[in-house]
Parts: sequence; structure tokens; C-alpha cells
Amino acid sequence: MIKKICFWLLTTITLLFVLFPLAWVYLTAFKSNADIFDPRLIRFVVFKPTLDNFRNLFSQYPFWHDLLNSLIVSIGSTIITMLVAFPAAYSFARWNTGGGDLLFLTISTRMFPPAIAAIPHFIVFKTLGLLDTHWGLMLLYVFLNVSFATFLLYGFFDQVPKELEQAAMIDGYSRTEVFRKIVFPLIKPGLAVTAVFCLIWAWNEFFFAFLFTRNVARPVNVLISSFWGGLQVQYGLMAAGAAITILPALVIVGFMQRYIIRGLTFGAVKG
Amino acid sequence: MDRHESAGFNVSAESNEGGKQVGMGRKPTIWETLTNEKNFKWTLVVPLLVLLVIFAFYPLFYSMYFSFHDWGMQGNPVFSGLKNYRQLVNDSTFWAAFGRTIEVLVICIVVELLLGLGVALLWNREFKGQNIVRGLALLPLLVAPLTLSLLWYFLLDYNFGAVNQILSALGFQKVYWWAPNRALFTICFITIWQWFPFSAFVLLAGLKSLPKDVFEAARVDGASSAYTFRRLTLPMLSPLIMIIIVLRAMWLIRLMDPLFGTTRGAVNTELLDWIVYRTGFVMFDIGYGSAMAVVSWAATMVLCLLMFRQLMKSMAAGR
Repeated sequence: MIKKICFWLLTTITLLFVLFPLAWVYLTAFKSNADIFDPRLIRFVVFKPTLDNFRNLFSQYPFWHDLLNSLIVSIGSTIITMLVAFPAAYSFARWNTGGGDLLFLTISTRMFPPAIAAIPHFIVFKTLGLLDTHWGLMLLYVFLNVSFATFLLYGFFDQVPKELEQAAMIDGYSRTEVFRKIVFPLIKPGLAVTAVFCLIWAWNEFFFAFLFTRNVARPVNVLISSFWGGLQVQYGLMAAGAAITILPALVIVGFMQRYIIRGLTFGAVKG
Repeated sequence: MDRHESAGFNVSAESNEGGKQVGMGRKPTIWETLTNEKNFKWTLVVPLLVLLVIFAFYPLFYSMYFSFHDWGMQGNPVFSGLKNYRQLVNDSTFWAAFGRTIEVLVICIVVELLLGLGVALLWNREFKGQNIVRGLALLPLLVAPLTLSLLWYFLLDYNFGAVNQILSALGFQKVYWWAPNRALFTICFITIWQWFPFSAFVLLAGLKSLPKDVFEAARVDGASSAYTFRRLTLPMLSPLIMIIIVLRAMWLIRLMDPLFGTTRGAVNTELLDWIVYRTGFVMFDIGYGSAMAVVSWAATMVLCLLMFRQLMKSMAAGR
């Protein structure tokens, strides 16, 4: 009994610790400025709810526009990433192409400090007119996610027994048929997980978006960061914006809990 | 491990292709050359390699080139030999940022591991609502670091921040979380808050997969739980701990977003990537910024090479 109480006490503390800032976002999003800056603790939960922050966000700032940008760039970059990573991962897993060195090379690019890439990319993008365009940002996100996607998919392909494919080929299946009828059905969950991770990482990315976009292709994260003004910060707007951009994460936790750790460890831990 | 050269497989594949696609005595088309048995595996990786060369290796060489030049984004780059590197060696701001990055790396990894281990041990059992509880704890990992840093900046505000309000309601002194001697630790705190669930869930996965019989045997032999933990649990978790350390080090060495929403490199919190960013994009000193970037890249690579073999081994063990 005492053990059980201790367990739930510790669990509650952990959850409070984790959820406190997130709860704060959703509470603050519905507060008026007077309530946000009220130093009384009771105002943390007891206040007169208002939709003003959301109304201002959508009427005074291009929030829809930027949200749409985020969506376009995330989805576009995810599609391209998957198109590139999918065949490569299959090749690495099926034929051990490059004997492991190539795979290391691929994953090592994910460890490049972004700042090293940012300066030359900026210069090249400026020459090619890719600054502040959807395509430019999409390509950068493809680069950021592709090595990780390849590695993760490699882990999933690696689990498809190659004897299965050989048996099918001996039975007279062509390579396309083997792929379509045997490999693909087995790899489908892996594809979904990888795609979702590319989506969420592109959605959350800030540094490149901040450097490479101004108005036209600006994603919503950059808009939210602009509410931070050093001396004067518009917390209501910021919380309202954050409340909306956090929603995809909530949905994903609901659906894919058991794959999240797998994704974050590049597939090393099954979770 | 030889994946493709079992005889039966090759023969069948060849006869298959010979019969269906390549007619006798005709030059194969480009498509056939690309998809024949020998080239197909390379054809599949070409798009990836092209992408990596354009977006990763080309910028790397570009940066190396600029690091030997002086350039302010206008006019032509002027060759300056080792000047940038010589300047860098004596640049105390850069080395301070370097030191701080390592400090953050060590603090965050150690605390995350300890917290994570605690939570993993706590939740390594069946309990009511376990999926909901675990799901909620995963949330911070999926939220944009930038958004979180903006939130924490306000939560830790001296006057209006909820944390200080709670502290003073409980009778404690308010804390200047962003004071110059404390801000770096506050940044660490934010990062730890976001990432300790990562360690927790990796270790939880490890704890769940431990063989039951060994622990049974230890219990029968009368080993204390502390002894079992130290001599059985920890060694068996060590590949996973290694994975956590390597992956977290890779992420932390490039810690950047939490600075954007909070101090922006002020009050002694400038980290490695931030100083490169500031030199290149705020001061437009491309040459010097590139030299910093190259040194920072080299440091990352040393770290990776030291750890990657270990990581692959741990991964093979985990899989």
C-alpha cells in the first residue's frame, strides 16, 4: 500500500513537471493581458477566458499564411525525403552497398553543425534566387532529414528476411513483384513512422527557416519567434500560436506512442 | 555478412531478366544498364549521394575555402592564408563558447541519464493508465525546441514567471534565473526538461527486454536489490546508455534553438553554433565565421569517430 502511494506520488510529480509548461501554454492562450501579467498565483488557473489572442493572431498577423507555409514545406520535404531515402535504404539493407562506410558517411552528415552549411547555402541560394521560397526551404529540410530517414528505413528493411525475397524470386517473381507483394507490405509501418518523423522535424525546425525566409515562405515558428521583442513580448499571441503549432505533436503521441523512441534513436531501440 | 551472392538467387534473377527484358544480341538500353544485377544497388543510392554531395560536402569544402579568405559578402574574397585560424587560436570568446558547449554537454547528459534512469525504474511495471501516463511524458520530445524556449523564458521570468510565483507562494526567495552566473544552467535545465523523457524511454525499453531468469536466480541466491542493480541491471543496460550518450552528444553539440527564445547568446550563454551564426550572419565576417565553422565541424567529427563504432556495436546489440 505504502509502495503504491509512493509510486503514484512520484508519477504525479513527474507528470506535473513535464506538463506544467504545456498546460501554461493552453491556459495563457485564453488569457487577457491583464491576467497574464497579474502576479497573483491564483490567476494561473482562475481567470476570465477570452478568445482575443486567437482573434488578433488571425486578423493582425499572417498566421494562416505562415501556417500554410509550414504545412507545404513539411509535406513537400517529407515526400522528397522519402523518395530519396527509400531506395537507398533498401540498397543498404539488401546488398550492404558500400560495406557500411557509405552508411556512416550518410549518418555523419546529420552531425554537421548547421552553421557550417548555413553560410555556403546562403550564398548559393542567394545566387540561385532560392531565398525565401518554398522550394529552397524544402530542399534544406530534405537534406536535414534524409540521412536520418535512410538510417531509420534501413533498420526496418534489415528486418525483412532476405530468404523470403530469394524464395519468391526462385518461384519466378520478378524484382518488381517481389518488392510490391512481399517487401512493401512488410515495410509499410516503417514507412509511416519515418514519414511522420520527417514531418514533425520539418514542422519544428527553426534555424534554417529563420535564416532563409523573410515574408513569402516564412513558416509559423519564425512568426511566433517574432513576438519575442527583447523588452516587450506579446505573450498572449505567442501562447496562442504555440497552442496551435503543438497540436500535431499531441495527435502523434496519441497514435504512434510506441514508435517515437524508435524514431528518435534512429531505429536503434525498439521502444 | 554476404547478402546477395547465394548462387540460387543470382541464377534465378539472371534468367528472369534475360528472358523478359534483354533481347539477344542487342545493345542494352540505359534503363537496362541501370537496373541490371550488378548496377541496380548503386542506382538506388545515387539520388541520396547526389543530395549529400550538394548539400553537405559542397558546403563543407566551400567553408574550408572561405576559411582561408577574408570576405564580407561584398566584392571578391581575398586570400589571407592562415590568418583566420591564427586569430581563432587567440580568440577567447570562441574558446569560452567551446568550453561552455562542453559544459552543457556534460551537465545535460549526466542529469538526463540520472533522471531518465529514475523514471525508467519507476515505470518499469504494469499500472493503470500506463499508456496515457507514458504518452504524456513523451510530449516534450515532439514540441519545437524554439517554442519551448520561448515558454520557459516567460515561466522563469523574475516578476511574472509562474515558477517564481510558486516559489514565493511556498515561502522561498525569488530567483533571477537569467542572471549572468546562472543563465547557462537555466539553458541546461530547459534542455534537460525537454530531453530527459528520451533517456527514460530508451532505458525503459531496455529494462523491459532484460532476461527474467537471471534476476530470478540472483534473487534465489539472496543478492540484495542494490547489488543486483549494480552488477546485473547496469551492465546489461550499458549498450543503451552508450546510445543515449552518443545521440545526445550529437544533438547537444549543436544546441541552438533554446538560445533563440531566451538569451540570444547574452549573459554568458554563447555556445559554439551561436558564435558561428553571429560571426557569419550578424557581423558578416564570412571568412572568420567559416574558420570557426570548420573547427566546430572538426570537433564534432572527432567526437563522432570516437563514438560511432561503439554506437554501431550497441545498435547491433539492440536490434
